[in-house]
Amino acid sequence: MKDDLNIVGKRVVRSDSLAKVTGQARYTADLKFPNMLVAKVLRSPYPHAKIVRIDLKRALKVPGVKAAISGFDGYGIKWGVFRYTQDHAMLHTDKVRYIGEDVAAVAAVDEETAMEALSYIKVDYEPLPAVYDPIESMKDGAPQIHSEYKNNINIHIHIDVGEVDRAMGKAFLVREDTFKAAGEAYAMMEPYAVVASYVNGYLDLWMPNAGPHVRAKALSNMLKLPLNKVRIRHINSGGAFGGRSEVAPGDLVASLLSIKAGRPVKLVLSREENATSSRQVHDMIATVKTGMKKDGTIVAKDFKVIYDGGAYSSTGPIATSIPFYVYEECYRFPNVRYNGYRVFTNKGIRGMYGCHGRAFLAGNEAQMDIMAKQLGMDPVEVRLKNGLRSGEMTATKSKITSCGLKETIIAASEKTNFKKRWAKPSRLKGVGMGCVAIMCGFPMGFRSGSSCYVKINDDGQVTIVTGLVDNGQGNESMVIQVASEVLGVPMGDINLVNADTEVTNLDPGAYSQAAAFVGANAVRVACENARKRIVAIASEKLGVKEAEIGLKDGLAYSIKKPDKKMPISWVVREAFFRGEPIVATGSFFPNIDFEREWVSRPWGQMAGTFSFGTSVAEVNIDSETGKITMPRFTSAHDCGRAINPMAVEGQMEGSIQQAGVAAITEGNLWDKGHLLNPDLLEYKVPLACDMPDMDTIIISSRDPAGPFGAKEGGLTVRMNAYSAVACAVANATGELFSELPLTPDRVMNILERKKGVK
Amino acid sequence: MVLPEFEYKKANSIAEAVALYKGYKGKAKYLAGGTDLVPLVKLRLSAPKAVIDLKGIKELKTISRGDGWLSIGANVTLFDLKNDPAIKGYFPALYESLDATSCETLQMRGTIGGNILQDTRCLEYNQSLQWRTARGFCFKMGGKTCNVVQGAKACFANYCSDNAPALITLSAQAKLAGPKGARTVKLENLFTGDGKKPLALEEGEMLVQIQIPLKKTKGAYEKLRIRDSMDYPLVGVAVSVAGTKARACIGGVGLVPRVYDLKNVNDAAVREAAEKAYAEAKPVANATLTPAYRKKMVGVLLKRAFNKALQEGK
Amino acid sequence: MKTMKVTFQVNSDKVTLQVKPYETLLETLRERLALTGAKEACGMGSCGACTVVVDGIPMRSCLVLTPEVNGAVITTVEGLKQDDRLHPLQEAFMEKGAVQCGFCTSGMIMTAKALLDRNKKPTKKEIITTISSNICRCTGYKKIVEAVEAAAKRT
Repeated sequence: MKDDLNIVGKRVVRSDSLAKVTGQARYTADLKFPNMLVAKVLRSPYPHAKIVRIDLKRALKVPGVKAAISGFDGYGIKWGVFRYTQDHAMLHTDKVRYIGEDVAAVAAVDEETAMEALSYIKVDYEPLPAVYDPIESMKDGAPQIHSEYKNNINIHIHIDVGEVDRAMGKAFLVREDTFKAAGEAYAMMEPYAVVASYVNGYLDLWMPNAGPHVRAKALSNMLKLPLNKVRIRHINSGGAFGGRSEVAPGDLVASLLSIKAGRPVKLVLSREENATSSRQVHDMIATVKTGMKKDGTIVAKDFKVIYDGGAYSSTGPIATSIPFYVYEECYRFPNVRYNGYRVFTNKGIRGMYGCHGRAFLAGNEAQMDIMAKQLGMDPVEVRLKNGLRSGEMTATKSKITSCGLKETIIAASEKTNFKKRWAKPSRLKGVGMGCVAIMCGFPMGFRSGSSCYVKINDDGQVTIVTGLVDNGQGNESMVIQVASEVLGVPMGDINLVNADTEVTNLDPGAYSQAAAFVGANAVRVACENARKRIVAIASEKLGVKEAEIGLKDGLAYSIKKPDKKMPISWVVREAFFRGEPIVATGSFFPNIDFEREWVSRPWGQMAGTFSFGTSVAEVNIDSETGKITMPRFTSAHDCGRAINPMAVEGQMEGSIQQAGVAAITEGNLWDKGHLLNPDLLEYKVPLACDMPDMDTIIISSRDPAGPFGAKEGGLTVRMNAYSAVACAVANATGELFSELPLTPDRVMNILERKKGVK
Repeated sequence: MVLPEFEYKKANSIAEAVALYKGYKGKAKYLAGGTDLVPLVKLRLSAPKAVIDLKGIKELKTISRGDGWLSIGANVTLFDLKNDPAIKGYFPALYESLDATSCETLQMRGTIGGNILQDTRCLEYNQSLQWRTARGFCFKMGGKTCNVVQGAKACFANYCSDNAPALITLSAQAKLAGPKGARTVKLENLFTGDGKKPLALEEGEMLVQIQIPLKKTKGAYEKLRIRDSMDYPLVGVAVSVAGTKARACIGGVGLVPRVYDLKNVNDAAVREAAEKAYAEAKPVANATLTPAYRKKMVGVLLKRAFNKALQEGK
Repeated sequence: MKTMKVTFQVNSDKVTLQVKPYETLLETLRERLALTGAKEACGMGSCGACTVVVDGIPMRSCLVLTPEVNGAVITTVEGLKQDDRLHPLQEAFMEKGAVQCGFCTSGMIMTAKALLDRNKKPTKKEIITTISSNICRCTGYKKIVEAVEAAAKRT
């Protein structure tokens, strides 16, 4: 792999940061258009009820109200990512299924008028029995939330590899534990907002989103508009974390209102609405049974995981699978069975999250430590023994092409003196280790690949056009950096046009960790194709062989005699004179097995490559209060190559906050179907004073297919940080936890259980 | 989130404020820092016809010493008060409670008066109108029963001032002014135990001054919270010791801060107070941690606060 | 409903407006003055994304009524640039990688600015205490603390 790089691998200032530090970056709620209306949504006060009648007449009479809609104004088309999950009409006409569900909406000249009008909408409901707990929901006789799904089982993922029962029977050590975890709030700082503008038969939309193309498709279906008439536009996004991947009810609401009123409509959710009515994270119960040989080799795993799926399918099959896959992509399981059930309840819509599956992953890791200890091993040894290596296949037949797992385990443990400290924890001080692997992109049908169009402008500046999306993690800056490296043009001379469905090609978006491995790869290929054209002309003009031409700082030059050079702008002008301007396309389609299907055929190559990582948490527990403090947190991450190490560190540090410290603070609290903490006061996003000192270690494995060797950067830490914390608590207390987050009351219970206090 | 309609009036004297209040026939609210009031109005838990801004009243902004008292104007911000050298030197419990209140930015806006006169809090109460409508109005909102303790015809919301318990341990008194004139009450007598009206203020009465006997104390404030900034107390325990006498006060659990006087501070007396405080604390499931745990922490933090207060005094 | 006349200075401009008495400063800045740098993330004073500096004090503008700032001098993130030069905090936030999604950034910078204005050389602990008034969901705060430290050295 080429290592003499000019800009890739450097700590560059992100291209989007100037606008953000000056307050000029525009987010959806900042948009204002002439004649724009403000929308408000009437929401269900019932967890489960039949809709008998919705009367909008009085609301429409309020002066200043320009449109009012309910599900009866749409086509009732139900959206779902898969054919077998099409159950979400966004505005339903038959029933409501959770408190806060969108029922009707108005658009008015201002917010106060819209709010007044909402109070005049009359909805007749017939309340139905509701169910909030997935175990109850699966029982015979429980209220049916969707008639199509028996026992409210939305998705059942069944994976069975090898002979689990036989291997378990022969294992030296077998252990089974059950772990629960509360669902979390995404708590992205920007509450959901959408602007819809229907003009001349075209519907333009702005909203924070991770996948504009799939959203445009969903809206075109639901609104019965041709796909080319629905255009999702680029806008800054104030965070997504997996919660803005799919079409949202607000998108349909704003669109219908704009179509009806013939004016632009802006809908901005309140913080509470963002928490109750956009997306939430799954609560879960994971039962983990593990069989080990005497030498610590895992011979069998048997999993049963129940996901509280809320009222609709959402990304159901994917959400039910991912925790399993990120684990089997990390460790060798010769025999493994996974039964994942996603169960409907009368709670909000649940989606994917950056640290989705914490009960399952933290449970597995902590159980492994306890078993290792029984066998006289430590967490480092057992992980090195069972960890996958480059060239190996996962249990479900994905090939690992580059793997720095071992290096991350060693780096993180050496940096923290882990082995010694784990073996002899001082009183209520513990260390814990979490490992995981992450797929860089996963099967999304024909949306799995990305393509890029690049043109070199007459002044030598560059425009790149790609469907890639940035939700704040720095993807835009990353592809500009890649283009700058390939074309030898400074980042400041490169314009990016992205995430606009009209001008960009299909792209997975900021979803499935595809941006670096897939999106940036397409940009690299397109720029390499443009580079060939530049080099050909420069070679001719400078009288230097093509192989000896370098591009740097906007100049084409002879590598052997650097004073032989010319500005790239001259090359471009020459190309214009020849009637062949320098434009190029490039695409990248990852090596994925497209026969793979989440439910019916859960095997085959999952992703083009996998990233790896190890986190080590250090915790101190207050023996009297159970409060955990975290003096230090260390994460080592194989991200292939860090395109911008500063950005990768930022992702890792943010992950330590959102998954690591969150493991002791964050969880949604419920009273039946009522979310008790739909705010930023009682939902505990960690603050600066709650953060540990953080060490981030970047390990380069140089993926053979990744752009400059790069893979996904950061999510690995998000998926292993809570395991590290949970394992550290187990190390400090000598007891296994049963429930996350590890709030002080739960920690006290662990301490008392150990002491035998009633 | 937009506010409902109300008028804004600014008063330059206490008399003017009270006169304005009378003009609105009890439908007005006094406004100081607004960090408690504005969220309540946004949630439609308070619906004033007018707010009367007290920040123009000069005498509410001063800290003065005289006749053996430290007198703190109700509009002194928590941040300014914390940084007054007298506080750290004389009243460590109060210093620590101020430092533990919310976050620095809100300490700079919030006032000591507003902090003391804050409404009680509950996970099922501090919610939007839509949320509460879906849930059904509770006792405190004018409904029939509590939403947390099923069937109870009472309120179990928590009084979450960090500073009132500290001030109570310092035997502070509150100087009040209102349509019926001025009066001074012991701070611990400001609480009614009635969830619908937790503070014993007369119609139109405002807090003018907090007065603390100016003598050196040892003390500490222990606060149970999830995050080390921004959070309200899940339990707050203040302890002040003067000579052999001591006082502890428990906040964050229930409507009324509970006071424990110790005639002679020694290990046995502290243990006894801790046991009593533990036994008398009746938290319910209306805050982020379990009631059993919060109850336990009342005793634990009381002992801890005493240890800290007495150790730091040495 | 009667409106009220309010006059204040915002950044370099003196403005006089007729506002609703129950209008928040955040609404006035965003809706009337098109200063959209301050963000509404919670609307309840729990996050700090709407922080602006009023007479030297950092304030959650979602909790301030516009009539309350009559006669005040207000600085928003849009007013930090001086003579086309970025404020040291703005430079440092960029250089240290303290910005990710950017939604908390304006409030974070304004909170830090008020700190540096009253305390030229804050310790790391003081910086952490101050910015613990604001929620950031993306960064883990480390690079924000580093940026404020770097800016303090430059001012």
